[in-house]
Amino acid sequence: MNNTFRSDNRVGWLMAAPALTGLGLFIGLPFLLALILSFTNLKLASPLPLTFVGLQHYARILQDPVFLRALLNNLIFAVVVVPAQTGCALLLALLVNRKLPGMVVFRTLFFLPVIFPFALISVVWMLLYAPGPNGVINSVLELLTFGFWEPQDFLHNQFLALPAIMVVSIWQGAGFQMIVYLAGLQDISEELYEAARLDGANSWQQFWYVTFPCLRNTTLFVVSVTTILSFRLFDQVQIMTKGGPLNATATVVFEAVRAAFERQQIARGSAMTVVFFIIVLCLTIFQRRLVSEDRRVG
Amino acid sequence: MQTQKIFYLHAAHLVMACLLITLSVSGCTPEAETDKQVVTVWAHSGQGGERKVLMDQVQRFNEEFPDFHVELTLLPEGSYNSQLQSAALSHDLPDVIEFDGPFLYGYVWQNQLQPLDDLLPAAVQADFLPSIIKQGTMHDHLFAVGMFDSGLGMYGNKALLEAAGIRTPTSVDDAWAAEEFNQVLNKLAAKDQDGAVLDLKANYRGEWFTYAFSPIIQSAGGDLIDRRDYLHAESVLAGKEAVRAMTTLQDWFEQGYVDPNLDDAAFVEERVALSWVGHWEYPRYAEKLGDKLMLLPLPDFGQGSKTGQGSWQWGINADARNAKAAARFLASLLRPESILAMTEVNGAVPATKTAIARSPLYKEGGPLRLFVEQLRQSSVERPRTPAYQVITSVFQQAFDEIRNGADVQKALHQAAAAIEQDITDSEGYRSVPRS
Repeated sequence: MNNTFRSDNRVGWLMAAPALTGLGLFIGLPFLLALILSFTNLKLASPLPLTFVGLQHYARILQDPVFLRALLNNLIFAVVVVPAQTGCALLLALLVNRKLPGMVVFRTLFFLPVIFPFALISVVWMLLYAPGPNGVINSVLELLTFGFWEPQDFLHNQFLALPAIMVVSIWQGAGFQMIVYLAGLQDISEELYEAARLDGANSWQQFWYVTFPCLRNTTLFVVSVTTILSFRLFDQVQIMTKGGPLNATATVVFEAVRAAFERQQIARGSAMTVVFFIIVLCLTIFQRRLVSEDRRVG
Repeated sequence: MQTQKIFYLHAAHLVMACLLITLSVSGCTPEAETDKQVVTVWAHSGQGGERKVLMDQVQRFNEEFPDFHVELTLLPEGSYNSQLQSAALSHDLPDVIEFDGPFLYGYVWQNQLQPLDDLLPAAVQADFLPSIIKQGTMHDHLFAVGMFDSGLGMYGNKALLEAAGIRTPTSVDDAWAAEEFNQVLNKLAAKDQDGAVLDLKANYRGEWFTYAFSPIIQSAGGDLIDRRDYLHAESVLAGKEAVRAMTTLQDWFEQGYVDPNLDDAAFVEERVALSWVGHWEYPRYAEKLGDKLMLLPLPDFGQGSKTGQGSWQWGINADARNAKAAARFLASLLRPESILAMTEVNGAVPATKTAIARSPLYKEGGPLRLFVEQLRQSSVERPRTPAYQVITSVFQQAFDEIRNGADVQKALHQAAAAIEQDITDSEGYRSVPRS
């Protein structure tokens, strides 16, 4: 039975209307437009008549080595950043969840990077990554390795540029996930720990058999949000590396912006965003399925 | 029921309030002054000095010609072109538009500009540096003119060059040949602590790389696009001349001659002996180096030393209600006094011969005279095609790849292919009649 449109649901729909209108206007409509435009020859401010070119743009971008590299970079980024950032967030949350005086200061400090805009953070980190022995990170590494570290130009090295961006992203994003984990941690009943202690569990066992299982839903939420965010990687690339060197840091969103706004090829950029949307949609559906299966079992 | 009544009451109040606001706003608009011809002008809000000079010019024009009224709107530079583009789409462009040089050809393609051939006095047109006319012309019509042009060259540190026993060229004609320049770098590096002796402003972004380094391709006999028909790129951009020139440039990076210059202070701190940059660095360099500063032409890769050109331009909207008044305003901007006031604050090359003769930096014997000579003889305007947006973007990408050690032939071939594809997609940028 489909009860969605029953008359006593009307109030519900009415209340959802503002949000649904916003979603439709700012997400649904632009996506629909992108989908339509991706089949045309549209260029920004071109006086040529609009013609339909079919799947041409899709065929081209899927053969374009730079776009494929961008997809691969996004994938590598997600594979590394999602577990690393989630792990860091959990660690931080465990650290600041202790009931010690002054903990609020630490929570604020760890959360601080989240509230700064990425543009600002990127500029600051560019200074930290400065090459040569005067760069902060280079000199710290030199000190830690007793002078064995050779100063690197992180952002212009094709093997170090993407990892360098990953580090910034993890540092910036972990604070937000930490807060989510903190909420999850504080939701776990103290009685469970008490029972575990009575059973003689040490603190590692308490974490593994009480904390971690209780955080399952929080973890799933954090992982899916981080995955989506990590696919949206753009600001850092735009400011720190412009996709270089040798396309080592090009991402799908960066390539789409470059096509649409730098080269005025709106149709090509639209096709890229559609491909990107489909990938993120698949990932989200996959993760939703994981979550729902979990709930059924639990 | 009571709550419903209150809701309606609130809704009615809201509608009333909205109506009142609309009425009062429309009531406040001042009556248009019917006896004056209004000329609307959009310009980019540059450095403080440039802004002030422009505002002074507008004020002076309005005082001098009481029949006209120029309304100047300054827009931030960062998003300037996109704001212009959106205004163009909705046919809201002002009468007089300022834009960065390379965008000209796109505006002409979109039929946004009208020719200035008959609007600007012939005497003013004849006074321009040839580079201004070259850049402003498309389809045999002059569409835009600038108050100034740019100069690109190489600043040298006399003391360091002399210490290494290097011959310094004095004019475009005796520029270092590419091989000789390699020896220069080699000699300088031998005396340098870290071997990095050349500043290519590798810390700059975007348009710089096309502006600064396409001249070496042109000097070698290649180009960004075949200028006979503006349809093909492969043979000139990925031809053997271009590949040779870019391979030489790649070699400078690989030999470690290029200072990454992250602090933008490589030249003023005398870490390097040579700095490949434009006129805008002169004030800072002159202050720090004093008598040690010298200006040199870029190396000659076979077909003579070439250099870049082009800066901000002014054009008149095709829909301008009063093109004559707009042209009057442009002519007033192009008076020698206005040009000199502007170039005094931004240091650029004055656009007219009269102004140059009066400029202490650029007149005969002035320290930056070389820039004028170059603009007369050896500067190459950016390709006069709407495809330039794509050309410069793919060239920048190719440059990044070459600088980081990629195969030069392959990088240039990919760039050329992307340019040709865009041209085909745009039906050769054929002219489209105004609808």
